[in-house]
Amino acid sequence: MESMIASAVSALQDFTGYIYPNEYELHWELLIVVYPYLTGLVAGAFILASLERVFNVKELQPVYRLSLLSALAFLFVAPLPLLAHLGHPERSLEMFLTPHTKSAMAMFGFVYAWYLMVVLLLEIWFDYRKSMVIWSREKKGMMGFIYRILTLGATDISESSLRFDDKVGKAITIIGIPSAFLLHGYVGFIFGSIKANPWWSSVLMPIVFLFSAIVSGIALILALYMITTMFRFKEISMPCLNKLAELLIYAMIVDFSLELLDFIQRLYESEESINILSHMISSRLFISLIISQIILGSLVPMISLIWARFGRLPVEMRRIVYFIAALLVQVGIFSTRWNVVIGGQLFSKSLRGLTVYKIELFGFEGLLTTCFFLLLPFAILYVLTKLLPPWIIDEKDIKPAEAQVS
Amino acid sequence: MKAPKFPQQVISLAIIFAILLGGLIAARILLVPKSFGKYGHYRADAADEVASLDIKYAGYKACLECHDDIYVIKEKSNHRGLSCEVCHGAAAKHIEAPDEFVPDAPRGRGYCPLCHGYNPSRPTGFPQIITLQHNPGKPCMTCHNPHNPLLPHSPEECSACHREIASQKRVSHHSSLPCEKCHTVPARHTTDPRSALPKKPTTREFCGGCHDKNAASPKEIPRIELASHGGRYLCWECHYPHHPEAK
Ligand code: HEC
Ligand code: HEC
Ligand code: HEC
Ligand code: HEC
Ligand code: HEC
Ligand code: HEC
Ligand code: HEC
Ligand code: HEC
Repeated sequence: MESMIASAVSALQDFTGYIYPNEYELHWELLIVVYPYLTGLVAGAFILASLERVFNVKELQPVYRLSLLSALAFLFVAPLPLLAHLGHPERSLEMFLTPHTKSAMAMFGFVYAWYLMVVLLLEIWFDYRKSMVIWSREKKGMMGFIYRILTLGATDISESSLRFDDKVGKAITIIGIPSAFLLHGYVGFIFGSIKANPWWSSVLMPIVFLFSAIVSGIALILALYMITTMFRFKEISMPCLNKLAELLIYAMIVDFSLELLDFIQRLYESEESINILSHMISSRLFISLIISQIILGSLVPMISLIWARFGRLPVEMRRIVYFIAALLVQVGIFSTRWNVVIGGQLFSKSLRGLTVYKIELFGFEGLLTTCFFLLLPFAILYVLTKLLPPWIIDEKDIKPAEAQVS
Repeated sequence: MKAPKFPQQVISLAIIFAILLGGLIAARILLVPKSFGKYGHYRADAADEVASLDIKYAGYKACLECHDDIYVIKEKSNHRGLSCEVCHGAAAKHIEAPDEFVPDAPRGRGYCPLCHGYNPSRPTGFPQIITLQHNPGKPCMTCHNPHNPLLPHSPEECSACHREIASQKRVSHHSSLPCEKCHTVPARHTTDPRSALPKKPTTREFCGGCHDKNAASPKEIPRIELASHGGRYLCWECHYPHHPEAK
């Protein structure tokens, strides 16, 4: 037994086959895994919010503001892993000062700024303006002052003014949907356009990224909604939860079929890289791809969500299944990012060998930094919800709607 | 009641965006160097700044004036492609004042392996040693003249210059075949490799000599139908001859 473990450990640590000398070490590490994961959550949460706003999915009202705030919290953190990875974060400003239009990576700054300034902040501002004006009048001292600044002096809350807010908000959401697609499609684009890497180079990449983003965003909001209502000792709106679960199922089915399509296409094309890639899947990526991404992260939550949504289950049970499924989806999507980013660097360009990746614990690109970046958005979200409570609506508007349904 | 042409919100936001835009424009005016973009996506003055740096290297022709003996030897040796300052470091100061600044000579064992240590990515035919195994303990200069690295005697093994091929072959199905079975090597190749290149197999029949169904070769060799196997392609378009695989 001991010798088995020893040989397994040494097998794990060794390179297999032939590798070029500059491929032993990975250049894009854990932080680059975190980055697409975070932007995916942003895009997904925003697209969810726009469903309520643009397509009038009324059941989603209780999570509308929560999704916007989560999108904002995660968007704040999304570029931080990149900056930490850069080594010279201050140089990132250069891409604003001297824009290089032929470099996709350099244009990211503008995609990000557009999304933050023109889409998310504006939409949140217009949405909250009425509440902020009211709060700025009610609250005393420091808080009142902060709200007064946040209103930017636009204190008119007459009927016509609010109608204007609503109209502009809607227009921004409509612009926002393609922008969210752009934000995350862009991340897929970066990987998909690397011609020399058979694991990445695929036109489907941006689309697969997008749908996995939607999946992760919906699952995040579902879990956040359940946790926040629980800690506020409020009643969960079951229609909302059911709708979220439904959307999650549809998004997952599309996402899963897309990835399956990609996979089958690769198998059928059977390019020269297929041997090393299948070898990689069956050895290095077995746990993160087969077990974590496909079984735990896709099939199990998909089946249990369908069962919980459309089967006959007590409400209590249903919630628990939803919640666990949402968490599993997060694990699955994180593994997806891992498999793309790390997987693309594990095999040699000679197509004859595999390297290994070991996560470091400390250090700028290590596990601790990563955990920090994964937890930071929640801290920011907490502050945001204190500042701009997203739950005002559900207290007065939802109760009747719920009463109708049940 | 006034009927505002522009709602209050638009005015506030317009101010904010104007400030941001103004900030960006101001930052561009202040921070982007004047000469940026003159020639391309970089600061044109950088070229002038680099040009105005002190010259550190003299170039190998400058050494001829005083070290003609070494210069002449090296020009004829296998190190003719290397500039003097590759090994001796920047020597422009030495030209100006030969006695005050004397360049270093890398006499330790660590230096030469920078180029000659075994590394699979080096081109085939480049002389490489495994430093730990090659006459350990003695500096390279005891046996090799750096200015004329003529080998004391010609290498006994092809692996001296083709180590990657040799070590692949060693673990392959062809490990039992000596290189000379497939390549006729002129004697001069091991001393002055480029002036006399060995011959390589050119036909399918060559491999068929061992692998054809009817070939008169040892029984354990795997057989193929020479006429049909692999179509009209040369065998090594599918099988790497130094590490053949049948997959
Ligand atoms: C103007 C004449 C002159 C030129 C040109 C010149 N050298 Fe020298 N070099 C000398 C003299 C003189 C010495 C002996 C100095 C001493 O031993 O104090 C010397 C010594 C050396 C040494 C000996 C160091 C040692 O450890 O023994 C090296 C190496 C050397 N030169 C390299 C170069 C190189 C490389 C160049 C060309 C870039 C060059 N020299 C050009 C005059 C010259
Ligand atoms: C491959 C590296 C290499 C190159 C290229 C090289 N040298 Fe040297 N050189 C050395 C080493 C090593 C020594 C020390 C030799 C010793 O101590 O036996 C040396 C010694 C010298 C010396 C000291 C006197 C001597 O003969 O020991 C001079 C002068 C010199 N080199 C000049 C030159 C000049 C001029 C050139 C270019 C024409 C040149 N070297 C190119 C490695 C090199
Ligand atoms: C900058 C790289 C470089 C350095 C440093 C260097 N060499 Fe070389 N060496 C070469 C090149 C290039 C050749 C020629 C190979 C060829 O012909 O393909 C060569 C050839 C040789 C040969 C083989 C000559 C033959 O006849 O086949 C020997 C031996 C050698 N070097 C010894 C040394 C020693 C000893 C040193 C250290 C003083 C040294 N080299 C430093 C690049 C280098
Ligand atoms: C004791 C003498 C001795 C010393 C010290 C020595 N070599 Fe050699 N070297 C030889 C001989 C002899 C050969 C020729 C043939 C052979 O054995 O392969 C050779 C061959 C070489 C070759 C050609 C490739 C090959 O394997 O034949 C290179 C390159 C080389 N030596 C570099 C070095 C370097 C670099 C050092 C210092 C780290 C060094 N040698 C130290 C004796 C020596
Ligand atoms: C001193 C170094 C050296 C030794 C020893 C040596 N070679 Fe080479 N060999 C070379 C160089 C240099 C080339 C040319 C590589 C190039 O130009 O790409 C070469 C090329 C070849 C080629 C290719 C010829 C072609 O047309 O492409 C063959 C085959 C070859 N060597 C076989 C051998 C065999 C077999 C041995 C052992 C008996 C051997 N060599 C020993 C340096 C060496
Ligand atoms: C089974 C026959 C066979 C044996 C044994 C063999 N070779 Fe070759 N070698 C070939 C053939 C065939 C080619 C031509 C491949 C091509 O043109 O793509 C070749 C090409 C080469 C080349 C030039 C192309 C390259 O890959 O760099 C070198 C160098 C070479 N051989 C060296 C060696 C050396 C050194 C050995 C012994 C260690 C050896 N070969 C043993 C069949 C053989
Ligand atoms: C001198 C006889 C001889 C020549 C010439 C020869 N081979 Fe081989 N070949 C062998 C032997 C011996 C084996 C190993 C059989 C074993 O593994 O027991 C072998 C095995 C093979 C295999 C099977 C590898 C496997 O995975 O089973 C292939 C493919 C092959 N050779 C291709 C070639 C090609 C291509 C050439 C021409 C460049 C060639 N051989 C020339 C003797 C030869
Ligand atoms: C078009 C690609 C191609 C070409 C050209 C080719 N082979 Fe093969 N060879 C293969 C494949 C694929 C296999 C493994 C499957 C099989 O056995 O057919 C193989 C298998 C072999 C085997 C192992 C057979 C066994 O029973 O284990 C030998 C020996 C062999 N080839 C030798 C040769 C020789 C000699 C030539 C040149 C006359 C050659 N091959 C040309 C593709 C090729």
